[in-house]
Amino acid sequence: MRNYSNVTASLVLLAELAGCRATPPGKLETATVTFAEHHFFIRNKEQKNPLPDTPATREDGKEAFSHYCVACHGMDGQNTGVPFVDHISPSIPSLASPDVQRYTDGQLKWILDNGISPSGMPGSKGTLSDEELWSIVAYLRHLPPAGSLGTPDIYTH
Amino acid sequence: MAISAPIAWAQAAPQRIEITARRSVYTPGEITVKKGQPVILVLKSTDVGHGLRFREFGINLQVKAGGSVQVEFTPDKTGDFIGHCSVFCGPGHGSMEITLHVVD
Repeated sequence: MRNYSNVTASLVLLAELAGCRATPPGKLETATVTFAEHHFFIRNKEQKNPLPDTPATREDGKEAFSHYCVACHGMDGQNTGVPFVDHISPSIPSLASPDVQRYTDGQLKWILDNGISPSGMPGSKGTLSDEELWSIVAYLRHLPPAGSLGTPDIYTH
Repeated sequence: MAISAPIAWAQAAPQRIEITARRSVYTPGEITVKKGQPVILVLKSTDVGHGLRFREFGINLQVKAGGSVQVEFTPDKTGDFIGHCSVFCGPGHGSMEITLHVVD
């Protein structure tokens, strides 16, 4: 009797998990969420980057980006070499895409600080310093050509 | 003249400050130096690799696990400056700070 109950409970659990299976969002869903993110959810629109937009700042940003962000975004911010990029939903956007580049510097910093829930994008406040996060914003404005920096080291060992 | 020579030597001798870094913390957390007086900053790590960067003075020390590095510089402006860890050292890296007070 106990075995029968366990089997039933397992089947119910499997059915529920199947119902929760992630499927890629459709175009309308994506467009709606993107609009809402740009206009409602992602704050800090007016804040300016306090760091000068210089090659040195961008290089700092590239360095900071390489510590924490490359696992999902690749060295180039365009997902190069990320093995799971085609198996995650919602998909990981290219940071060079117009949808991302339309965010203001302040919004990009807000995303870096707080992440985007419920996507897989985590917040980095405390993990990286404010200075590093602003330098990443500068780097994001000057991303290299897709594929030009190769695969992140963590995926080549 | 016999007196002035040793005084001149004493003024030129750099102040040596040792800073110990371990995950998320510098010890001491604040240091005070004088504008125009040479300083030797010594950075030691007791666990993983760490860094110490003062952007305003062009300083970026990087030390390996258990190692020690140093830099000499002469602060040319007064104020309070925040130094950050410049080597990713794990959770809490972003809040690893030290304050440098430069006084007249």
